[in-house]
Amino acid sequence: MLRAYVWLFLAFLYAPILLLPVFAFNDGTVIAFPLDGFTTRWFGRLTTNTELHAALGNSVVVAASSAVLAVLLGLAAARAQVRYRWPGKAGMMGLIMLPLVLPEIIVAVSLLVVAVQVFGLRLSLLTLVAAHTLICVPFAVAILNASFAALDPSLEEAAIDLGETRASTFRLVTLPLVMPGIVAALLISFTISLDEFIIAFFLTGSDVTLPVYIWSLLRFPRELPVIMALGTILVILSIGILTLAEWNRRRGLKRAGMDDKGGFL
Amino acid sequence: MTDPLIRLRGVNKYYGDYHALRDVDLDIAAGEFFSLLGPSGCGKTTLLRTIAGFEGVSGGSVAIGGRDMTRVPPNKRPTNMVFQSYAIFPHLSVAQNVGFGLRKRSDLNDDARRAMVADALDMVGLEGYGGRAATALSGGQRQRVALARALVLQPKVLLLDEPLSALDRKMREQMQEELIRLQRHIGITFILVTHDQEEALVMSDRIAVMFDGAIAQLAEAEDLYRRPVDQRVAQFIGVMNFLPAAVAADSVDAPGLGRIPLDAVGVRARANDAPTIGFRPEAVTLLFPGQDAPDRVTDATVAEVVYYGDMTYYDVCLDGTDAKLRVSMRNVYGREVMEIGQRTRLAWSPGAMVLFT
Repeated sequence: MLRAYVWLFLAFLYAPILLLPVFAFNDGTVIAFPLDGFTTRWFGRLTTNTELHAALGNSVVVAASSAVLAVLLGLAAARAQVRYRWPGKAGMMGLIMLPLVLPEIIVAVSLLVVAVQVFGLRLSLLTLVAAHTLICVPFAVAILNASFAALDPSLEEAAIDLGETRASTFRLVTLPLVMPGIVAALLISFTISLDEFIIAFFLTGSDVTLPVYIWSLLRFPRELPVIMALGTILVILSIGILTLAEWNRRRGLKRAGMDDKGGFL
Repeated sequence: MTDPLIRLRGVNKYYGDYHALRDVDLDIAAGEFFSLLGPSGCGKTTLLRTIAGFEGVSGGSVAIGGRDMTRVPPNKRPTNMVFQSYAIFPHLSVAQNVGFGLRKRSDLNDDARRAMVADALDMVGLEGYGGRAATALSGGQRQRVALARALVLQPKVLLLDEPLSALDRKMREQMQEELIRLQRHIGITFILVTHDQEEALVMSDRIAVMFDGAIAQLAEAEDLYRRPVDQRVAQFIGVMNFLPAAVAADSVDAPGLGRIPLDAVGVRARANDAPTIGFRPEAVTLLFPGQDAPDRVTDATVAEVVYYGDMTYYDVCLDGTDAKLRVSMRNVYGREVMEIGQRTRLAWSPGAMVLFT
């Protein structure tokens, strides 16, 4: 009974995604069974589409920038969370984590209003980077919290005791030991930004990101198999990056002989 | 004491409303093996961290080697610390750990650094371990690396924060002896924080017993054991029996023991005091059949027997009282251990009694 439940649950989660590669290799423009035959031409079409390449470039720039910003902010927040106490700490940390559960459409609309009406900004990749940083920070904080929690505070004190300054202690001791967490946070933030649609849809001007471009393709039914091909690549890429992130985090902990205080995955 | 190496004057420390250190005055001489002993939460670790510079003081002053260090950060103090968790850097090798503090020494070239690291590892019995990963070491070996890492800098003072508490009993006793030997060999001042009274007695020249953020007694190990200033100290250091007593003109009267001249206990009690008489389990003797004692003898009954192999602890009731007193006797070849209910006699001298007023 429990076995059947688990299989049903997994099928419910992943069966739709398994359809992506099925139709990506199907030699026909109609997304329906029965299948027509095997082809790789949809993947071939991906290589010649310059709009797609531009969208991909935008996505990578936005994802990389937001990931770096989110991790820098996350480092500060996680260190504060683990090492210090101050009045209102619980509330403040809660507010940092809140974007995790806020409906993205609400975040998107409010940010649009703030950017355009309040600050009079022109929509660009910059506004999107700011917005994606906001939604990536909670993920970065969650991962980095675990890294800092696994770090014995005596290690930093020992370095200072042995003559190092606070800055050189951070560089020589803290940073190398939380580096696996930093890499994991970067990779996960990058993936989240890369896959994000709603906020990107509201906050990009003429420079669209990949998910927004895919959405725009849906108006042309003939392009559907191309989307399937693209989707297949993106799913594999996302799973690959997340696996890499977690593997790297666990390996780092093991090498440092620290307890795993729970990562994000 | 001429020119102590460490001089604390009126040190107070508050965490919010919590008074962690209360008016601590302390002088520690160069080359001394000094222990801060007390139950958890008594402020001993806070005091050690104050000497190291990790805790600022709310009032008072800290001087090391004649220089005021009250506001000097830990990386500028001539002290090094062995942390309770050892704090071995897990991403570095043993040699990199030991050489960590030498990085800042621009007067040394790489060869000199390597030689110093090798010497330090030799000193703690880890020669040839330099290339190993720090995470591949056992608890006892990590402890040695932590020692070598601190001692390679030749500090004036080595601070040890419960360094043996994570080791098992055998290993701990071995490390205690090694630490004593090491300290005598290099002559650096050691300050040890411990909650283990036995450890403090074994290792230290002098011991400060702390309760509630204040030093309750500061004395050499033997004095501390023999002449505790109050019942709290007496109970924390080893075991002591207590009997309520009454004061007469020049003697105290303890039920079951009789009159004890005040001269013998060396304390002036006033007539209206309600003092307590205390003695250690090994300061008195139980007489086996046929034995006699030169001094006082009191009849008693064995109420409890706890056998330890080399020792036996007896709880005895003195005739005419219901207080149980603990007596420890070395087990001697050919002599039977007494049984519960057996009649015996307690031999004691007034000089072994401690009077608490």
